[in-house]
Amino acid sequence: MSNPLPNKTISVRIDGELVTAHEGQTILEAARANGKQIPTLCYLKGLSAVGACRVCVVELAGTDRLLPACTTPIQDGMSIKTTSAKLTLYRRMAVELLLVERNHICSSCVSNSHCELQSMAQSLGITHVRYSYNNPRLQVDMSHPRFVLDHNRCILCTRCVRVCAEVEGANVWEVASRGIYSRIVSDLKDDWGHAHNCTGCGKCVQACPTGALAEKGQSVHEMVKQGDAVTRLATQRAGQASGAH
Amino acid sequence: MPRIQDIGAFSAVRESGLAKLMPAIPRLTVGMGTCGRGNGAEEVYHALNEAVQRSGLDVLLAGVGCFGSCFQEPLVSVRLPGCPLVVLHRVQANDAGRILEAISTGAMPPDLIYCKIEEWDHITGFVKYGQGYPEIAPWNQIPFFKGQKKIVLRNCGLINPSDIEEYIAVGGYQALYKVLIDGRTDSVIEQIKASRLRGRGGAGFLTGNKWDFMAKAKSDAKYIICNADEGDPGAYMNRNEIEGDPHSLLEGMIIGGYVMGATEGIVYVRAEYPLAVRRLNRAIEQAREYGLLGTNILDRGFNFNIELVQGAGAFVCGEETALIASLEGFAGRPHPRPPFPAQKGLWGKPTNINNVETWCNIAPIITRGPAWFAETGSVKSPGTKVFSLVGKIQNTGLVEMPLGTPLKSFIYDIGEGAVAGRRVKAVQTGGPSGGCIPVEMLDTPVDYESLAQLGSIMGSGGMVVLDEDNCMVDVARYFVEFTHSESCGKCVPCRVGLNKALSILNSITKGNGSSEHLVLLDELGRMVRECSLCGLGQSAPNPVLTTIRHFREEYEDHIVAHRCRAGVCQELALSPCENSCPLRMNIPRFLELYQEGRLEDAFESVILDNPLPASTGRVCQHPCDNRCRRQSFDEVVNMREVHRFLADSIYQSDLFEPMLERIKARKLAPTGRKVAVAGSGPTGLTAAFYLAMLGHDVTIFEERSEAGGMLRFAIPEYRLPKSVLRRELDLIEGVGVKMVFNTRVGFDLPLNELASAFDAVFLSIGTWKESWLYLPGTELKNVHPALPFLESVARHDQVSMGARVAVIGGGNAAIDSARTVLRMGAEATILYRRERKDMPAIDEEIQAAEEEGVRFVFLAAPHRILGDADGNVKAIEIVKTRLGEYDKSGRRRPIPTDEVQRYECDSVILAVGETFDVDFCRASGLALKEEGTIVVDRFTLETSRPGFYAGGDVITGASNMSNAMSGGKQAARKMDERLMGDSLSGEQRWESLFPDFEYSRQAPGEPSLSRRHTAHSLPAQARAHSQDEVVDGLSSQEALEECRRCLRCDLRATASTH
Ligand code: SF4
Ligand code: SF4
Ligand code: FES
Repeated sequence: MSNPLPNKTISVRIDGELVTAHEGQTILEAARANGKQIPTLCYLKGLSAVGACRVCVVELAGTDRLLPACTTPIQDGMSIKTTSAKLTLYRRMAVELLLVERNHICSSCVSNSHCELQSMAQSLGITHVRYSYNNPRLQVDMSHPRFVLDHNRCILCTRCVRVCAEVEGANVWEVASRGIYSRIVSDLKDDWGHAHNCTGCGKCVQACPTGALAEKGQSVHEMVKQGDAVTRLATQRAGQASGAH
Repeated sequence: MPRIQDIGAFSAVRESGLAKLMPAIPRLTVGMGTCGRGNGAEEVYHALNEAVQRSGLDVLLAGVGCFGSCFQEPLVSVRLPGCPLVVLHRVQANDAGRILEAISTGAMPPDLIYCKIEEWDHITGFVKYGQGYPEIAPWNQIPFFKGQKKIVLRNCGLINPSDIEEYIAVGGYQALYKVLIDGRTDSVIEQIKASRLRGRGGAGFLTGNKWDFMAKAKSDAKYIICNADEGDPGAYMNRNEIEGDPHSLLEGMIIGGYVMGATEGIVYVRAEYPLAVRRLNRAIEQAREYGLLGTNILDRGFNFNIELVQGAGAFVCGEETALIASLEGFAGRPHPRPPFPAQKGLWGKPTNINNVETWCNIAPIITRGPAWFAETGSVKSPGTKVFSLVGKIQNTGLVEMPLGTPLKSFIYDIGEGAVAGRRVKAVQTGGPSGGCIPVEMLDTPVDYESLAQLGSIMGSGGMVVLDEDNCMVDVARYFVEFTHSESCGKCVPCRVGLNKALSILNSITKGNGSSEHLVLLDELGRMVRECSLCGLGQSAPNPVLTTIRHFREEYEDHIVAHRCRAGVCQELALSPCENSCPLRMNIPRFLELYQEGRLEDAFESVILDNPLPASTGRVCQHPCDNRCRRQSFDEVVNMREVHRFLADSIYQSDLFEPMLERIKARKLAPTGRKVAVAGSGPTGLTAAFYLAMLGHDVTIFEERSEAGGMLRFAIPEYRLPKSVLRRELDLIEGVGVKMVFNTRVGFDLPLNELASAFDAVFLSIGTWKESWLYLPGTELKNVHPALPFLESVARHDQVSMGARVAVIGGGNAAIDSARTVLRMGAEATILYRRERKDMPAIDEEIQAAEEEGVRFVFLAAPHRILGDADGNVKAIEIVKTRLGEYDKSGRRRPIPTDEVQRYECDSVILAVGETFDVDFCRASGLALKEEGTIVVDRFTLETSRPGFYAGGDVITGASNMSNAMSGGKQAARKMDERLMGDSLSGEQRWESLFPDFEYSRQAPGEPSLSRRHTAHSLPAQARAHSQDEVVDGLSSQEALEECRRCLRCDLRATASTH
């Protein structure tokens, strides 16, 4: 997790360039602070990082080890490579895998052209997928008066889980089951509409990178999310909270 | 019992324990681990108990843990005062009476004796049971135990795990006592560091460093955890360690708790291990009672508690961060590291996690010192490791071996090799996410680094032996299915990557794979390995990556040829017999057709699958028998004799002509393509038959003046009469194959000439050149290579050989030569450098030779042939060999000794293998392999020269008849595809050769209960001097009965699709 008050400065190399970072920062934070772009999907600034999607992997120069940038603390003297043929291939594969796992049919999605998965696929140059589609039969939970949860579009990034627990404090969401059968569930696997602690704040909807969580009444490509609003809120809260300690 | 607070109390407990371990009355123990119970140990225990009561004898009966040799369970040990401990194996409840008798008489039941133990090094103590029973082998002379070193398992199977006093009797808790008295925690950590003990859970971190890290962490609470969440299928070492010796684990943890300053210890154990849980709970209770756990331990003011937590059995909880999450009440999903548990673990406090085995090594290291510990094992990986050795191997069980022991010692010494009649193919180490190591690499020392280099892991110590009945693609599929279903689902590579890898593997095993799949699979494996969040995903691709690396050919077989040689992938095989037959004969079909009274249909089915059914019916090695399902019931179906019978019935009757017409009618329309076949042996004849059926104009060029190749000239008349061969040739010529004799391709007829006159050429000239053995004396008169010898006899040429003939070799040619020698009125002795069971010849033939009076000298390697002044052979000297290490073929390598023996003889026949004349191939631009065979594409059999194909012994080296023929069949199909354009229509053309028989698809309600019918050999006396055929076929009644014995395995597929 990011540290609000920067610690000791350290020097590291990112793509060969010598830059300064702060102890306690992750590789991702250090890179972004220095204007270096590393793609991310499950990461949302302000929320804890979980390292689930693995599109942020970077190379530790001089070794063949890959590290997730969003969760790995940067260390003095580290030399990081953020691009390479292998990294591009693996990032592309991670996104391809997400695309075949569930039913991502952009043309009928509320988030079409405002979806982080879609734009990630575009920026990685994915024009087709090489694996067979899983085509699972998944439910759409329409029980909430204002929102919808469409499992077909969920990538299990758990941003909703985290924003609800860490920012709203309502703990509505969890992941149930395991492996390929993992599902986002509300309450104790009840319908979202029956979730007692849901405050209806909609932060999960804003945090969700795809069309999996959406407001009702939106039609194709109308759902524009405000992930940065979540970040703003979260960082404010974190500031207050650390002040209170 | 009072709490132990001083050395006096300690000694008192020790005495009391020793009185139970080595009482003045007889002591009987039963191995009551889960493995023992599974084999009936409980019944044995009760029966013994009753017998003791009944007898009124004063006997101490106790349960103990597993002694390791699980394949010998139930084990019972008997110790009479002052005598060694005698271990009895495979004891049944009804043996109780005899055992009680043995106690009173002192004479052990001979059939139950396994081994004896006179003294035992418990590492923390030493026990002398007593001397005696010279006729019983000491335990460490039993192959299964030879080379094992029991440190972790030092007490297992010997002490009663439910009695702390027995543990104390063998020096238990002394190490703890010492550590507490000394009170110097840093010196203990130094000792652990100096021992270079590495974590036995799999990753192999240095335990001392981990402890140091933890000891230095400052916090109000610190935890130590024992990871006993053993979730690998087939691995059960942790279970047995806890069941057999729970205090050893507790002692290690209490010491660890003290030196690392922990406040609490937790054992995280699988709920599926109820016995381990029970024994551990009892041990914790007892340790508390005796003041070894809880408050003020050993009166040294140290407070420490151990709690037992049962995990729900998720494989991923073996991953330490997931285990911690589970302990905290969350779902077992791992977290990214750092932070490491030693910084921020359970409840955010510094936490140290070690595997059961690591903990069990602590007390021995403290007691005997780090230098002692480092004596065992390799420099980088000292000590021992417990492995569960399972799979296709003679001896299975838990073995504790020094690290760095070569893998082959596990397989061949401890495990005593493959199960009968099979060969070990690979070993899978490290549980479901380990890799497969091929048999060629069994020299690899088993340590962390060497295994990693081969793409495998040590893991928790699973070791599964695989043989030729295991399909490596299926093995990979099986393990990925497991890890995929155990993936927690948190990260994408593991959750979705494994899911896609599994679906690709499923397609391949179903015959729907493509070569693109193989590339995707390899790439997916690497990505999942490198990108996954935790150890589960990072190691799960190992089975896939190592099988692709070491067994690529098996993947290609599945993808390109839809072939699973192991016969495991059901979709790719009709029945086990069909899959094992090199010609892929539809065996259940002809058995059924004949059973329905349809002789002609049955024959048609046979001849279209196998154009030489009468010859193969006599001389084939019949691999079809190997996996016949009927063997699990009584004996395999005698398929070879049935097709011999069918062929003979047609050939010897007036059905032959109409049958020939019927087969000719199936020929495809003439294509106008011309094909040349070089050589008229079984391979050439087979290719020619199919090519002619496919409508091509086929000419065979044969060097000799008659057709048949080895069938005519190498296989003696008494095994395959020339009249039978004549009928087969009539049929092949009958479908339009032309033969040109006395023409040697490559010499009389250059390849370039063939190339211009024919559209395709098939080379199947066989391996006629005898490989020459370098041996002093081979220049003498009357030293004959086997094939020319057999050929001369077949031609009725004069062969001079005298009265006593020595034959060197162990293959079919050696047996054929020796039996021929007998028939010519001489004596024959076969000299072979290994043992009988290693002879490559067909077993029935060896047996027949023995019956007829051929002498065999085994373990005899030729040394030199001695001649007289005239240059005639007068004797042969051999060096006796002994069997050494196992070689790549899974047989022991013969090693010459100093002993030389001499056999008087008048001639020598060398049957040591054949090659062929390769010079012309080289000259004509055909690429050759190092061993002198022609290079071909594995699937199309095309040589390096386009349009030229090759098959049979020239590509495989000398092989056997049906293998050779399968090359001819495969080549004919591929040549046709090439000649006729695209492969789709080729596929249809090929399929259209075979009639669609209507026959019963009902499983036999009741297959015949009769036993296997075998062909009838003439009495040995009568046949030994006769050139007539010596084995009569089945009668029609017997053949019918044999057909009725078939279980119709081919119906499975049809049945399961509905
Ligand atoms: S619903 Fe959205 S935010 Fe929640 S896990 Fe799925 S994709 Fe992520
Ligand atoms: S029982 Fe019949 S079908 Fe099954 S393997 Fe034996 S011969 Fe073949
Ligand atoms: S952004 Fe780092 S793993 Fe998803």
